[in-house]
Amino acid sequence: MGVPLAFPPGTAADAASGRPPAIPPGTPALVELQGITKAFPGVLANDAVDLTVMPGEIHALLGENGAGKSTLMNILTGIYQPDAGTIILDGYARALPSPQAAIRAGIGMVHQHFKLVPAFTVAENIHLGWSRTPWRASAAALEARTRALAERFNLAVRPDAVVGDLSAGEQQRVEILRVLARDTRLLILDEPTAVLTPAEARELFAALRAFRASGNAVIFISHKLDEVVAIADRISVLRGGRKVATRPAAGADERGLASLMVGHDITLRKARPRAAGTLVSAAPVLELDRVCARDDRGLMALRDVTLALHGGEILGIAGVAGNGQRELSQVVTGMRRVTQGAVRIDGRPVARTDAAAFAAAGIGHIPEDRLRSGLAPDLSVADNAVLRDYARPPVGKGGLFRPWAAARLARTLAAEAAVAVPDFGMPVRNLSGGNQQRLVARREIRIAERVLVAAYPSRGLDVGAIDTLLSYLAELRDRGRAVLLFSEELEEILELADRVAVLFEGRIMGVMPAAAADVETLGLMMGGRGARA
Amino acid sequence: MSWRLQRVPNVPAGAALAGRLGAIVAALACVAAVLTLAGLAPGRLGAEVIGSAFGSIEGLEDLGLLVTPLILTGIAVALTQRIGLWNIGGEGQFNAGALAATAVGLHVGGDEIWVLPLMALAGAAGGAAWILVPTLARAFAGVSELITTLLLNFVAALLVAWLCTGPWRDPSGRALATTARIPAELPPLGDTLHWGFPAAIAVAVLAAGLLAFTRFGYEVRIAGANPGAALYAGIPVRARIVAVMLLSGAVAGLAGTIELAGTVHRLQGGISNNYGYLGIMVAVLARGSCLGVIAGAVLMAALLNAGIVLQTQGVNTSTVLAITGLILLFTAIGDEVVHYRPVRRTSAAD
Ligand SMILES: Nc1ncnc2c1ncn2[C@@H]1O[C@H](COP(=O)(O)OP(=O)(O)OP(=O)(O)O)[C@@H](O)[C@H]1O
Ligand SMILES: [Mg+2]
Repeated sequence: MGVPLAFPPGTAADAASGRPPAIPPGTPALVELQGITKAFPGVLANDAVDLTVMPGEIHALLGENGAGKSTLMNILTGIYQPDAGTIILDGYARALPSPQAAIRAGIGMVHQHFKLVPAFTVAENIHLGWSRTPWRASAAALEARTRALAERFNLAVRPDAVVGDLSAGEQQRVEILRVLARDTRLLILDEPTAVLTPAEARELFAALRAFRASGNAVIFISHKLDEVVAIADRISVLRGGRKVATRPAAGADERGLASLMVGHDITLRKARPRAAGTLVSAAPVLELDRVCARDDRGLMALRDVTLALHGGEILGIAGVAGNGQRELSQVVTGMRRVTQGAVRIDGRPVARTDAAAFAAAGIGHIPEDRLRSGLAPDLSVADNAVLRDYARPPVGKGGLFRPWAAARLARTLAAEAAVAVPDFGMPVRNLSGGNQQRLVARREIRIAERVLVAAYPSRGLDVGAIDTLLSYLAELRDRGRAVLLFSEELEEILELADRVAVLFEGRIMGVMPAAAADVETLGLMMGGRGARA
Repeated sequence: MSWRLQRVPNVPAGAALAGRLGAIVAALACVAAVLTLAGLAPGRLGAEVIGSAFGSIEGLEDLGLLVTPLILTGIAVALTQRIGLWNIGGEGQFNAGALAATAVGLHVGGDEIWVLPLMALAGAAGGAAWILVPTLARAFAGVSELITTLLLNFVAALLVAWLCTGPWRDPSGRALATTARIPAELPPLGDTLHWGFPAAIAVAVLAAGLLAFTRFGYEVRIAGANPGAALYAGIPVRARIVAVMLLSGAVAGLAGTIELAGTVHRLQGGISNNYGYLGIMVAVLARGSCLGVIAGAVLMAALLNAGIVLQTQGVNTSTVLAITGLILLFTAIGDEVVHYRPVRRTSAAD
């Protein structure tokens, strides 16, 4: 996709070519980190990390969940203060005592979890907390300014749209515009593509290349190794808080990078064949019969959806994000009322929309947006670990809640999820993004006696953790449980699912055995074309 | 070399506490300065204030009398804070509780063993009834509880004033603008203090236990921390909002009952003595922690007591309100100031 961008002072030709600009010898690094160390109670998040980012470079940062990537970037953006180490910008040692100082120094970050105000419009979000926002400004004036900015940086946003109504990709464009508008020279993106569709990711990459072409730099954190190899100029790997390598992306291979991350050789994407003797149940455990449902804005989001999910199978739901996946996952977990049709568990129609009853019936749910619904970020790890178990023994008994039993269960879950938690009383928001996801996934797998509804379960996980998670899903299937797997990655679905259903504009376009499905047909169906084109 | 202030987003707990203590000291220093300007000796007054509250058994008992309603109205606010709401109507619920308890106390005869619990029940029910409409409006129509609870305060105060001067006026004619003395009284605990004081502390401990050790409390904490997570877990958020708000009103109503049956013994206009509003400050000082409310109430009571002492020295009665306001203001400033620290300005040239 040719992107005719004009990042001052780069030329359109540079931008379109996407090649890093030639840097005169002797140019100081845009950023040089020396010996950055940061400890939290019980963890050494960064241990004497050195990192150099040159102007005109896209530098990828890799590492397992909890390796310290976000922490390092939070130091570079003035959110945390390092315990030791030096930050050198353009050859001068600088203190970055606050995010404002980092912004003034030209460093901007788009965080792993979006930080926009959902109730505000795009224009309001762009101008929030910005010294150059006019003191008195009408909504129309802010929108006009936003439109001008959007044009200048070639990021398509709708200035008057309310952020809460936007798709993840659109929200991210707003975040990036917000950062770029503040004269950023170093753009830091923390797992920017985790929530993007492949098309949105391609657009993002085009914008990043254009940004780099004018001598700016990008630090890019991602767990998607193929993507990293494709977009980055150099790659640095963190392991357990230490930097273990920096190498050029040219010639790097995914396997090599993965082993650098974990410290030993790993095999990725093992086949996960059915265990011998696993049968698919004759009667469905979960059925949707001509179900219709509305989304939060009251628009029809599911139309006449009929699906049957059997024990011992994995049913993949493919589709471009925003075609009813969110509503479907909520209907099958008792979070959303259906306006028409019936939901049946083990053949019995459910009388009430009650998420607790669904959970008690053995339906686990790894939600799409773990921070907005799967966790209460300000409450403790222990409180969050028992969100599904607080009402039954040993945590709950006769109306009581036993914090010590909650802590014990949390310890078990954390051990199963391979998450190191120094203090179960600390807010769960202090865990790394991937570790939060691991914990939610384990919690839900534990209660999934009948069905596991997994919405984008591998988002934010490192390669090893994705591997483990997919094995768990296969294991659930082998034990006769049903899995409903939502994913944007067709490969993941085709690799794991027994059947694939395609969702388009709230309708099921077709259901087919995964063995008979190919990427082309699925792609057509995801675009709204019928099963037999 | 120049210095400037810069904001740090995360503040360690120790610094936060220091900020609070600093705020209180700064507020008191301001008061001292004003008193000096007014020609009074703040040092001597301070000694007198501390001596009167903490220097004798009587002083401590009087302090306890002030602490009692403040704990309860503070708990009323802290409870709703946990589910993300503000009950600004403690004052009205206090009055409604006192009123309901008076109705029982004046019209139900019999042994105190029966009448007192009945008054407590009536008082709690009165407080809960007073917050019922704001509760339903909040839970089912999303109407902000801030305004509805606040407005009902004035209605309750007027209702009490009318009853005391009208239908329930003391028939003996000896006291003006109050009801007759209510025969049932809380058993004393010392000279002036009564069993309302330990009861209030028990309520604070129970409220803390309710939030920490019951299923209900857990659900309230989840619903308050992230309504999205409550929906996900199938926690009935509306039902919890209704329960917490009614409970909050009941606790404030109980405060009114205890004040009536333990300290004042007659319903009269102004019986609530701003305890409902001061409870908001207590809860803010306690940062919404139920056990912290006890400490916050002691601090607030010491200030009220100081006001009484200052009054005997010829200082205006509203001074004490100004002092509490100053403390709250300085606390808010202190909470913000701890986010800043001086750093040397670094320019590109050094
Ligand atoms: N504010 C905090 N308080 C306590 N511990 C923290 C805090 N922030 C991060 N940590 C810990 O520091 C470690 C590194 O976390 P960080 O978020 O940097 O990981 P990450 O590399 O970004 O991982 P992920 O890929 O999962 O996002 C983790 O063990 C995390 O629990
Ligand atoms: Mg991270």
